[in-house]
Amino acid sequence: MLAASAAALPLLLGAAGCRSSDAFTGPDPLAGPPPLGHDVLTLQAVIAAEENMIDLYRVAISGDPGNQRTARTLRSLLGQHEQHLAQLKARLIVPPGARGVRGDGQSPRAPGGSGGGRPPRASTVSISRLRAAERASAADLVRRLATVPPALAQLFASIAASDATHVTVLGG
Amino acid sequence: MAGVKGPVPALQAALAAENAAIFGYGVAGAHLTGSSQAAAEQAWTGHNQARDGLAAMISARGAVPTAAQPFYRLPFRVHDASSATRLAAYLEDGVTRAYLGLVAVGDQRLRRFGAMATQDAAQRAASWRGSTQAFPGLSLPSAP
Repeated sequence: MLAASAAALPLLLGAAGCRSSDAFTGPDPLAGPPPLGHDVLTLQAVIAAEENMIDLYRVAISGDPGNQRTARTLRSLLGQHEQHLAQLKARLIVPPGARGVRGDGQSPRAPGGSGGGRPPRASTVSISRLRAAERASAADLVRRLATVPPALAQLFASIAASDATHVTVLGG
Repeated sequence: MAGVKGPVPALQAALAAENAAIFGYGVAGAHLTGSSQAAAEQAWTGHNQARDGLAAMISARGAVPTAAQPFYRLPFRVHDASSATRLAAYLEDGVTRAYLGLVAVGDQRLRRFGAMATQDAAQRAASWRGSTQAFPGLSLPSAP
């Protein structure tokens, strides 16, 4: 028994009524990749919401934004959301093979909340809908401040402030 | 920006920004007229109220609120409505940065307070500037 190989150890532990995690402290090497941490999950959710916001703007711009001035304004705001997305993604570090990540390594789309659900596929998106999405996004980011590290909290608060200025530009 | 250790230094930094804004709006307002002057007066009043609130928060934590300076060096010469408007935007940018410092403290209520004040200042800055920014209060390198 003392000469049992490593491969036989789980069998021996199983026969003794033990799981491998009972025999060792620390990460269980047999349990697969660890689940994603809270910060990663939060960032993924915020990234998904930002992607949905960008989709909304693209639909609004490709539809009938009203006039050239409005279209120019929407393109400017879209550009700022694309900057938000780039900075958020730059902070996302996901361990290879971590549980909770799509096969392509991309963040899952937000199931609801700000920006809301699957990308919009309506032919038009109204200014009032963009305004509501911006307002919801700012509120959502502020709500998430309590549970993230200081640097990420500052990024969220700055993006929320940007979203709040967008609300005003959109007539809010 | 993320290096602020505790709430009192961050509150003092916000107070200093408010004091500078109060002084600066006094200068800017003298060169503005009509709705711009009214907006400057409204902002000046708001910054005075914010200063008093911050001073009370600092005192409640057993610290002494740092007094305003008798004079502030302006970043450029203010001699007309255009430069006064630029100064107002500059002042609000400073207030935005200062309140973002509060978002880095551990106290969750102060974080939220700082975030909401950041939004208010960013909105005033955007109004004076006539355009919005992607990251009010932050200087970020370009993302890869």
